[in-house]
Amino acid sequence: MENLIENAPCGFMTLTKDGRILTINNKLVKLLEYPSSELLIGKHFNVALSNSARIFIQFYFLPLIIAKHYVEEMYLSLTTANGEEIPILLNASLQKNNEIICVIVPMLNRSALEDELINARKMAENAYHEKEKVLLELEVALRSLNKKQQELMETNQLNAKFKLDTERELQLAKKIQQTALTKDIINDNIQILSYYHASKSLSGDIYGFYQITPHKYGVILLDVMGHGISSALVTMSLQSLFQKLISQGVAPEIVVRELDQYLHELFQNNQDAWHYCTAIYLNIDTSTQTIEYINAGHPPAIFQEENGTQHELFATNPPLGTFENISFKPKKVNYTPGARILLYTDGVSEALMLNTLNHLLYDSLRTSLTETKDIIQKTLENMGSKSEKYNSDDQCFILIEL
Amino acid sequence: MNQNTIKRNNINISGKGKKAIIFAPGFGCDQTVWKDVSPAFEEEYQVILFDYVGIGSSDLSAFDPVKYSKLSGYVQDVLDVCAALDLKEAIFVGHSVSSMIGLLASISKPNYFSHLIMIGPSPCYLNDPPGYYGGFEKEDLVNLIDMMEKNYIGWANSFSITLLNNIERAEVAKNLENRFCSTDPLIATTFAKACFFTDNRRDIVKVKVPSLILQCTDDIIAPNVVGEYLKMNMPNSRITYMNAIGHCPHMSDPEETIQSIKNYLTNQTETLVGEGVGGV
Repeated sequence: MENLIENAPCGFMTLTKDGRILTINNKLVKLLEYPSSELLIGKHFNVALSNSARIFIQFYFLPLIIAKHYVEEMYLSLTTANGEEIPILLNASLQKNNEIICVIVPMLNRSALEDELINARKMAENAYHEKEKVLLELEVALRSLNKKQQELMETNQLNAKFKLDTERELQLAKKIQQTALTKDIINDNIQILSYYHASKSLSGDIYGFYQITPHKYGVILLDVMGHGISSALVTMSLQSLFQKLISQGVAPEIVVRELDQYLHELFQNNQDAWHYCTAIYLNIDTSTQTIEYINAGHPPAIFQEENGTQHELFATNPPLGTFENISFKPKKVNYTPGARILLYTDGVSEALMLNTLNHLLYDSLRTSLTETKDIIQKTLENMGSKSEKYNSDDQCFILIEL
Repeated sequence: MNQNTIKRNNINISGKGKKAIIFAPGFGCDQTVWKDVSPAFEEEYQVILFDYVGIGSSDLSAFDPVKYSKLSGYVQDVLDVCAALDLKEAIFVGHSVSSMIGLLASISKPNYFSHLIMIGPSPCYLNDPPGYYGGFEKEDLVNLIDMMEKNYIGWANSFSITLLNNIERAEVAKNLENRFCSTDPLIATTFAKACFFTDNRRDIVKVKVPSLILQCTDDIIAPNVVGEYLKMNMPNSRITYMNAIGHCPHMSDPEETIQSIKNYLTNQTETLVGEGVGGV
């Protein structure tokens, strides 16, 4: 048995508890390149260890063998008498007599393989760290995206609030615009009724009718180009002007000329804001039963005699605010009681088929003026509910019975 | 008491005395290395054992590779343990690198400590010729780390467990029934690099607490010249030469270790009485 151990295919030795060599077999002596075991016996195992292995033995091997009484598969590196390093695996156990038995297997080839394994592990760890880093960057990007989304939502809320505020303002402005409109006139000599509908909150149409003297009435209808807030603002400034002029009883040509000049002056230095308007003005004298009128680019008014014969009061001039220094000259027509006049803006005529207004007016010859107004209004509203197209412009008409 | 630190550093308290004595394990080992030494102090002292984060039964999830890549991380562990237990004037017994960790902790918070017992200490493991002999060349320490990595191949076969998330890590940790002196390779190599490549020679002169150096025979990690260098440069230090051979006298020769510590402490107390400062 002794002989078997001496020549076994592994290193074998016994140590004292603090690491001194007691016995060592031939195989291990040869591995360490010593001529005989006598040079090793009695020495500390350190003589056969590299510097790093000496630390390792102190930190791991001796504590483990004392605490657990055995060590398995410990990797170490031996140093031969000639200074060469040999990687080995070491198994050891502590005997009852406090001797440590060690079995040593060289692992030259395996060590290279393990080096590769360690390298592979390190690469995998690096890859893992890289992945973590990218994940972290992604998280940052996600956070920034969430923040942007939050900001967008806040902006949206602000917009919604702004929209609500604006809507409220527009409704208020609409009320103000409507208070500027004159009320229907109904007396023994004349009836004047009106219909007013804005495509949006505010309208580019405006009208006014005034009793100037007991027998004289001034009726005006204007349509400022475009619709919405800008057009509505222009209508309001024109309204304050024509109200004053008509109430003072100035001649029709002066009323229209003043409005024309006012528009030119308004936009003289501001071409970007330029607006023009179409207008029709009637000056009715119930004592002489005459109508003087000026039509500045406005759709023709329909004048219907008591017997149903219709005439159209075509444009006498281009729209207001277009050409400067135009001379306005009113036209005059006579009427007999029972005659009716329909003034309207293009929002009305365009919503209906050709000649519809003429037919409606003619067909309601025998019905009251109020009913006639209702018929025209309902026809318009029916068209409006049928299609958005017919509801896209401001609509206004004035119905007069003489 | 801070329950987090108690759990994190696996603090265990025993003993009948009032004065605290802390045993800090050396490189890579957990508190079980003190099992043959610490019971001898339970009659007279309050014995405190702990593990550094990442080692033994500490909370592995608290391991921060950046914090623990420097000795200061482990110093903070010691300070945290003292703070959690509200210690004052404790005796600190540190093995190997732990004696330096304790020394740095005492410089930072002198009130926590009354004495330092340093078993096999070294302020610097690397040679710094011509003035200083630490025992090792840089190459030796690099090879040591390489050797450590190869010894972990058996059980930490792919990733080091600190890289895994908490749940998986907990399962791996459970499988490591025998964690005595064997930790996760990342933690062990981090600790090794923090320990072996530091140079605390400038710190030892600042120590305010009296200290004892236990110098073993034939200790290749902390040779006699290193112990003598410390004795010469540390104010208020004493050195005791032990018969124990090697670097782990608390394991190989617990009786001699116990006796050396007790002799020193008795001696210190008598000195204080003799000077009229007051006894225990």
